[in-house]
Amino acid sequence: MSALDRLPSGRGDRALIAGVACLLVGGLFALTPLQAQLPSALYVFVEVGITFVIYGMLVLGLDLQYGHTGLVNFGHVVFFAVGAYATAMLAAQDSFAGTALGYPWPLALLVGVVAAALLGLVVSATSIRLRDDFLAIVTLATAEIFHSVFVNFEGVFGGNVGILGVPRPIAGVVGDADTRMIATILVIGGITLITLAAVTRLTEAPYGRVLRAIRADELVTRSVGKSTIVYKTQAFVYGAALAGLAGGLFALYNGAVAPGFFTIQVTVTIWIGMLLGGAANHRAVLAGLAIIMGLRLVSRFGLSVTPVSGDVFAAFRLVVVGLILIAVIRFRPAGIWGDPQELGVDQ
Amino acid sequence: MGLLQEAIFGVVTGSYIAIAAIGFTLIYGIVNMINFAYGEYLTLGAFVGFLAASAIPVPLPVAVVLAMIGGGVISIVLARGFFTPINHTGPVPMLLTSIGLGIAIRNAIRLFGGRSARYIETETATFRFDGVPDVTVGSVDLLGGFFVTSEHLIVFGSAVAVFLSIHALLTRTDVGIAMRAMGDDESLARVRGIDTQLIRDSVWVLAGVLAGLAGVLMAIQTNVSSTTGFSHILQILSAAILGGAGSPYGAIIGAYVIGLALAFSTAFLPSSMTGLSSAVAFAILIVVLLVKPSGIAGTEVREA
Repeated sequence: MSALDRLPSGRGDRALIAGVACLLVGGLFALTPLQAQLPSALYVFVEVGITFVIYGMLVLGLDLQYGHTGLVNFGHVVFFAVGAYATAMLAAQDSFAGTALGYPWPLALLVGVVAAALLGLVVSATSIRLRDDFLAIVTLATAEIFHSVFVNFEGVFGGNVGILGVPRPIAGVVGDADTRMIATILVIGGITLITLAAVTRLTEAPYGRVLRAIRADELVTRSVGKSTIVYKTQAFVYGAALAGLAGGLFALYNGAVAPGFFTIQVTVTIWIGMLLGGAANHRAVLAGLAIIMGLRLVSRFGLSVTPVSGDVFAAFRLVVVGLILIAVIRFRPAGIWGDPQELGVDQ
Repeated sequence: MGLLQEAIFGVVTGSYIAIAAIGFTLIYGIVNMINFAYGEYLTLGAFVGFLAASAIPVPLPVAVVLAMIGGGVISIVLARGFFTPINHTGPVPMLLTSIGLGIAIRNAIRLFGGRSARYIETETATFRFDGVPDVTVGSVDLLGGFFVTSEHLIVFGSAVAVFLSIHALLTRTDVGIAMRAMGDDESLARVRGIDTQLIRDSVWVLAGVLAGLAGVLMAIQTNVSSTTGFSHILQILSAAILGGAGSPYGAIIGAYVIGLALAFSTAFLPSSMTGLSSAVAFAILIVVLLVKPSGIAGTEVREA
């Protein structure tokens, strides 16, 4: 280990400081009578922004799996869903359908993270040895199985209605709608920034170099004495746990979970965000995700100025999203800010 | 309904999944990619058949032939436009491109065709066999009265015709033998003077023709909508992997296993959980990949 390895990474520390600052300001809004005014024009920005910071945790976890370790997980939404459902079922006070156990929400959130991590462990124990494209298929199939289980076991998971009556810790202490939105985006955004700091630390450490070595050439990595299966399993479980955390926070922000929130569309969105920004670069994947989520804003504004129906506009947006994915892979396989040499896509 | 009736439904479902799975597995074996947009080829083929049968209108057999030609043309155009240029990049970028292409096509169809389901008008004859005695074991009836429609027979007959022609193509023609050689070892095939790009193109056309046929059969059996093919892609994929990715014969067996598993799970699951039957297909897929990743007749898909 050289001296360079022990230096603190500047970026990670900045993200940590910013994250803690966001949490403190968010906490200030939530716990004191301090109020914020939100112009109605900005309302939609904050709403999409909250979804963005939640998906941000998903894309950071996915980048740890694919960008750094090369694991093609195409069912990332399942860990998000399992975290959200576990949290919701444990914390819900009185749901219309499905399970509502009424435990305190911090415990429920913890169980949500653990449940997602355990599922990640099971999936990786069984499938991590599969070739890349088959791992993609198995994870995708896992997500579809869980989706239909959530829809079909109405007694436990509430069917298409999902679980209602999940406590909303921030809404519980802030009455005013504007302040609540601001506090929510600051608190969840702060957690996302702290996540960014944590994964930056992890991947800039020698540990991260091993992960990238596995991505570049697994056989060489194994031949220098690294147990690649252990590293791959760990990276997979970390990503799953992060998705579980995002799911739990989503349940506690939204107050309800339903299968409609956890479709393959979520997986596709974060994959395109990651590839567009540039895999294996934490800030780039967040920026790529921001561009893709920005399209949602465009389609919302476009909807109000054009005379077409919402369904037509949604279809049009998805055509554009699909073409962006094709174009990125064809013309810029390393993404906008990615390093082609490191990703091994130099042509 | 008796289990025998469910078995008939299972064979019919298995038949059109098998036709599509052969095309899917040929692309996998020779172009070396999992084509996730393949379901959309089925949808497009079904729409070509529907338009031919209702707008022009032509008799149904002609519409089926037009759907097959349309499927072949669409497949080669899309391959030339999107997949051939990135052939060298490996399986994962190709898979991701096909996922993007699938989203774009599916929603473009939705944009122009809306969400509504359309029906192809056919005259159906139903053959009933009510005299069969019930053989009840527990709560399940093993035999019982059953019926077969002329549509069932058309689907099954087409499937058998496809199996025979594919077998003849792969064993009796130069193109088919070259396809098998390429599936085995591409470099060796090239050394022997096989024009690999030409063979790849013919595989795309063949897979498109099969997708067009499977799509229009699905449309006759049920209906046409923007999600006709997409709702079947995971079953097709399961069938292809179950049979051993790259093996057309394995894909046929895999498709009937999936079809029967779907039908029987509908019979055995309580009525509130019939939606789970699709999960059964994926569960079979995962179990196969864990227990025998090479499938019934195929190659190793594990690295370590």
